Amino acid sequence: MIPVKYNLRNLAVRKTTSIAAGLGLGLVVFVFASVLMLSNGVQKTLGRSADPNVAVVLRKGSDAELASGIEDAQVGVMLANPGVAKGANGQPLASGELVLIILLDKLGTEVVSNVQVRGVPDNILEFRKDIRFVEGRAAKPGTDEVIVGKAISSRFKGLALGQSFELRKNRPVTVVGVFEDKGSSFESEVWGDVKTLGSAFGREGFVSSLKVRLESPTKFDGFKTALEQNPQLQVEVLRETDYYEKQSEGTSIFINAMGIVIAVFFSIGASIGAMITMYASIANRQREIATLRALGFSRMSILFSFLLESVVLAVAGGVVGAAASLGMSFVKFSTVNFASFSEITFTFEPTPKILGIALGVAIAMGLAGGFFPAVRAARMNLVQAIRGG
Amino acid sequence: MNLLTVAAKNAGRNKGRTFWTMFGASFAIILFVLLRTVLAMWNLGVEAAAKDRIATRHKVSFILPLPKRYAEDIRGVPGVKNVTFANWFGAKEPNHPNEFFANLAVDSKTFFDVLDEMALEPGVKDKWLEDRKGAIVGDVIAKKMGWKVGDRVTLSGTIYPGDWQFNITGIYTATRRSIDRSEFIFHWDYLNESLPERRRDQIGWIQARIDDPSKSGDITKAIDKMFDERDVQTASMSEKAMNLSSMAMLSAILAALNVVSVVILFVLTLILGNTIAMGVRERTNEYGVLRAIGFRPVHIAIFILGEAATVGLMAGLLGLALAYPIVELGMGRFLEENMGGFFPYFRIDKLTMVTAVGLAMVLSLVASVIPAWRASKLPVTDALRRIA
Repeated sequence: MIPVKYNLRNLAVRKTTSIAAGLGLGLVVFVFASVLMLSNGVQKTLGRSADPNVAVVLRKGSDAELASGIEDAQVGVMLANPGVAKGANGQPLASGELVLIILLDKLGTEVVSNVQVRGVPDNILEFRKDIRFVEGRAAKPGTDEVIVGKAISSRFKGLALGQSFELRKNRPVTVVGVFEDKGSSFESEVWGDVKTLGSAFGREGFVSSLKVRLESPTKFDGFKTALEQNPQLQVEVLRETDYYEKQSEGTSIFINAMGIVIAVFFSIGASIGAMITMYASIANRQREIATLRALGFSRMSILFSFLLESVVLAVAGGVVGAAASLGMSFVKFSTVNFASFSEITFTFEPTPKILGIALGVAIAMGLAGGFFPAVRAARMNLVQAIRGG
Repeated sequence: MNLLTVAAKNAGRNKGRTFWTMFGASFAIILFVLLRTVLAMWNLGVEAAAKDRIATRHKVSFILPLPKRYAEDIRGVPGVKNVTFANWFGAKEPNHPNEFFANLAVDSKTFFDVLDEMALEPGVKDKWLEDRKGAIVGDVIAKKMGWKVGDRVTLSGTIYPGDWQFNITGIYTATRRSIDRSEFIFHWDYLNESLPERRRDQIGWIQARIDDPSKSGDITKAIDKMFDERDVQTASMSEKAMNLSSMAMLSAILAALNVVSVVILFVLTLILGNTIAMGVRERTNEYGVLRAIGFRPVHIAIFILGEAATVGLMAGLLGLALAYPIVELGMGRFLEENMGGFFPYFRIDKLTMVTAVGLAMVLSLVASVIPAWRASKLPVTDALRRIA
């Protein structure tokens, strides 16, 4: 076999060309990995809002909390079913929530944008145990105090600690706390007292959805059957994990589809770029290759050697691209979630799998770009090549 | 034969390489054209907004309704010509639950007067007004779902629970490209009468035509002021401002597409530049000969730049020629049919075409500046001695 060192030195000799071709491949890997990371970020962010022990109750036929409505009077009936976990005070652990969207001025822009507001009951911090306050404190139940997720607190007018905004004319609410929740989509929401919000928006007597903590995930099927088969209720029950997976579906499919279109065209262009480089580098090395053959190296080892050179180039570019894409994890990406029409802040979230796929794409591009040039090198006519140079 | 023709002909010297360069670069151009077209078509809705139309909605939230009487109140505002209102119905076709199309309950007497770029055949409107369960659908969604005039259609509600029966009474087409041709439009009265007492007489938004587009700012202010002391406050704005704010929600995605389209240009420059640099390196000897027989450095530079411009131009044209059928025959039609709400019209516009080809040529020139400069500055003796 021809030593790998030969290929490495060849790449080093043609520095500018190698860097140009490698950089082209690296950019493709960078864009591709970033898109996958973003799509993963969307799923993870919404997925973190879900608790495997929690069941979501919505009105039958409504796809999302926003379109759903359940009468307060029915909530008691639902919670009387077996399998519902009890809180410290012996009451069922459940959260009847009102979900609304309000328009607020986006800081630093001329436009208003949609923010999701969630009316939550008094025991919400017992129900959602991962909520931590970054600034300020919890809102006092039954007051006009609200808490704001840290992802949007600094991005909208009136959402910073101590500021206030109006739910309706002369009905201001004050921000008393900024919270985090392990990076979930709740961090892009405003939480207020469910009764305060209900009266401000004329939605008294209703909640959008009921979240119920079950004693264990295995109780889900029984709970679901009990509620869905009660003809008085007309509701559907989903696992919270399934609900949020569905919520992220539209947005993540959209990002993935866009990413794949971009990656396909991009990688063809870059492979051809690598191929041009390899052809030129082989054309310039005719005499060398012929010498190698004359020394007794087989056609196969020539083919393999040049393929390897191209793959090394691609992997080098790929590693640079993938490493650069890791830098994207510091970037916050705020966009509309198609399921709720409101803005959610996502981050680019890398996983080993994504980096593996990105490097795999780099290797594939190296193989695709290097194959034909390597075949040409291997099939070179020895006599002509050694004479021609 | 002048110098530039010679330079252009030089591109044919290594036909294989020139071909692959053009081919590789053309993929970058295709992607560039696709992304710019997405961005341009997304903007189309903003650009094509009717200037004499304003919209009014709930001040705090678009999901909260306005009282129906507000539409009558707006009719009385000076400068307002015509008023209509609508509700987002948000139902689905039960056999195609993943098929998204806008369905609206509208004020049937006025809707098509205010949104006059939705065109109906003569007589259709009268027929529709007579049928309480009548519905008018866009030609794109009608074709896709196989709906014909006279068909009975059931939609299952998400916001308004239950199964809703409709008769298709007509099909509208669009006289303007920015119009979504996948809407399902029916009588607001039908919806209202079917609702329980406490949910009646509520409307989602109001649209109005005004006499003088230049007064839209004053009129929208006057409307909001009128309702300021009432129980529900409003936010009124020109149609353009309304479209802009819904675009703003997608601003991060649009920005990302913008960034990617610039990255593509960078990759394009790398591909083109690499080929040019390789060509120059191989021909250094020849440049020495040319200099020796009396050509000046500027001639060498012209040779290189001229060849680069030719390759760039051809790559741009090839890319455009490939992108055109992709958009016109495949992607454009698919998006118009399936994402009509976002892309009612999806075709490459002229500006994108010119930009793509122009940039391919300019970037190729930019990429060749350094090799051209170096080659022209190289002393004749060095050039002659240099082995590629």
